[in-house]
Amino acid sequence: MQLATLKKVFGENVALDIDAFTVNSGDVLGLVGNNGAGKTTLFRLILDLLKPNTGEVTIKTEDAEYITSKTEDWKEFTGAHIDSGFLIDYLTPDEYFSFIGKVNNIPKEEIDEQLKRYADFMSGEVCGQNKLIRNLSAGNQQKVGIIAALLNQPSLLILDEPFNFLDPSSQIAMKYLLEDYNKQTGATIMVSSHNLTHTLDICTRVALLEHGHIIKDYNKSDTDMIAEIEQYFEGNVHHEAIAEEA
Amino acid sequence: MDFKRFRLLYKLISKNKKLSEKRHPMFERNRFMKIFTYGMIAFMACYFIFFGVVLGNAFLNESIEACDMLNQGILFLLIFDFWLRFGMQETPGQEVKPYKVMPIPTNSIIHIFLIKRGWNWYNAFFLFFFIPFGFLTVAQMPYFGWMSFIGYMIGVWLLFVLNAYWYLIWRTLINQHIIYILLPIIFYAAIIFAGMVATDWLFTASMQFMRGFIEWNPLCFLIVLLCIVMLYYVNLWMQKKFLYEEIAKVEKVKKVKSQEMSFLNRYGVVGEYLKLEIKSIARNNVVRKIFLSGLIITLIFCAITAFTPAYDGGFMRIFICVYCFAVYGIMTLTNVMGVEGNYIDGLMSRKESVLSLLKAKYYFYIAMLLIPTLSMIAPVATGKYTIYEMLGCLFFTPGCIFPCLFILAIFNNTTMNLTQKIQQRTTNSKAQFFVSMAAMFVPMIIMYVLVMLMGSMWGGIVMMGLGLIGVVLHHVWLKAIYKQFMIRRYENMSSFRATRNA
Repeated sequence: MQLATLKKVFGENVALDIDAFTVNSGDVLGLVGNNGAGKTTLFRLILDLLKPNTGEVTIKTEDAEYITSKTEDWKEFTGAHIDSGFLIDYLTPDEYFSFIGKVNNIPKEEIDEQLKRYADFMSGEVCGQNKLIRNLSAGNQQKVGIIAALLNQPSLLILDEPFNFLDPSSQIAMKYLLEDYNKQTGATIMVSSHNLTHTLDICTRVALLEHGHIIKDYNKSDTDMIAEIEQYFEGNVHHEAIAEEA
Repeated sequence: MDFKRFRLLYKLISKNKKLSEKRHPMFERNRFMKIFTYGMIAFMACYFIFFGVVLGNAFLNESIEACDMLNQGILFLLIFDFWLRFGMQETPGQEVKPYKVMPIPTNSIIHIFLIKRGWNWYNAFFLFFFIPFGFLTVAQMPYFGWMSFIGYMIGVWLLFVLNAYWYLIWRTLINQHIIYILLPIIFYAAIIFAGMVATDWLFTASMQFMRGFIEWNPLCFLIVLLCIVMLYYVNLWMQKKFLYEEIAKVEKVKKVKSQEMSFLNRYGVVGEYLKLEIKSIARNNVVRKIFLSGLIITLIFCAITAFTPAYDGGFMRIFICVYCFAVYGIMTLTNVMGVEGNYIDGLMSRKESVLSLLKAKYYFYIAMLLIPTLSMIAPVATGKYTIYEMLGCLFFTPGCIFPCLFILAIFNNTTMNLTQKIQQRTTNSKAQFFVSMAAMFVPMIIMYVLVMLMGSMWGGIVMMGLGLIGVVLHHVWLKAIYKQFMIRRYENMSSFRATRNA
């Protein structure tokens, strides 16, 4: 995936401004940055849910090249979950998974098989609960969204803050789930998160965003990656000033 | 809590409430909507004034006092007001929620919201009717005068305040279970029945009671004030009792087995979206209410047309025929995509899902035409319409009216709140307003002209022909609408997101 001169401005606020950035096939890319850094905006631009002021997103496969704003074909191999705006909340999770399966032409047996695989992650609180999605807890809604994004076995998976709202056990399960998925399918995964530990654990690459710019692009092999990222976030906290105010 | 703090809190909450209304996304983003709402309020006020003047003059020549004449039926006005409130006012339970975690006694907050219910401009709205009426029939009468007029107005206002608290009790109970709606229906039906059957005691009593206000009888004021205080405390007790249930209400649904609606599986992706449409009606308050209203309106009009001469006149006859077929489409399709705004991101991240959705909606609305078709059998059987006129409307609606309404899918960008108990304003934009008006009146004019020029048989046949063209070409125009939707997608998606949960 290539991002070229991608820029998004809201009013006078530059939400995202990336000259050039490439995500390679099979990368597990983590986006980290403080609130307002532009992580969600970037995901929305990639998914063609926002109109960029300039630039475009190009996805290349072995056979074709897609500019995301010009065609819809790339949606067939992409899975994503950003927020509750992805969920049809008046369905039960079972109905929703069945719906996703059918609109993606996935046989029912395969959906059932996949759901069995995610049983641990769902920890018995999602399927068969007789509850509408809107009546589930935030954590379980998050699980529904993530599983739905995985159901069509996408070769490009985009998840915005997937660890949010999840209990510690589910966060760990989520981490293994993404690692395994990447190993088994070779899919490209893009994840944004405020949870540095999990992000650094699973990602082969980490991009640090600040005020809409990618200020650093790390590879897992970079020995100073963890220290530098931790230092960056630590540096943004003016501990003495906070203590003084308190 | 001391009075000073209570007053401060009252002012703050009032300010917050005003701001929340003023800054409602639909209001803030839409100048037309703002003007339209104020225009409608002004129109209603003028309408009330007009009726006040007309009735005031009309009753002057009766054998009894004009004000007494109206006061005999005051209960009907109160009943009308009672049912009108269901479309507009909710319980304070939900309003208390944001303040629940603040260091303010819950009791005080409930008191504030209850006081606000009494001290609400809406309770004085009927005075637009009573002031001109009272001016003509009380103030100008030499034996009554201005003091009587003032007493009358205060009395009327107190009755509407009383009605506000009376309504609130039933609203709270109905929120607990819909079955409670039967109680006020039975209550009012019993009163009216008793009043009508067992002489006119009800009308006489209400006339004498209202006379008490005009004559400044302290007992009348005292009775109403005592009733207000009593209902206030009943409400206070109920709000406290049901507060936690109101704010932590969890919707329980029956398990929907996958084999249900399996007959739609054969239609592939479109079938899946058809299932969504049906589930949306079954599980979302607002959508269900619109569906039921459409159904009831259709049945009522068909019954009136079939069995009474009320709509036998030329244009009204045509109006009802077109209206019965188009009403459900007009009521729902003017907000097309409003429900989907809730999950627009999910929809847009799948290829051509909006096209499949539009197709499913079209087929669903065609299937829904079965209701007016069956309902129209009675007026056709009683000779009010010819079979050609009925078939003309049956084909004209999906072929010509629906395409116009579906165009709104390109422009609609306000998300419909699916769980709210009161119906959202249905007109959100200029486009919605004009398209719904055109969808209702243009077909009527076309049908009227065709029937006048060609007679009911050929008029109906021409309408069928026009409709059939639209139906046959539905793939083409739906695809064209989808293309236009995709051109405007960024603007619409952004607005759907901004109005979600508003």
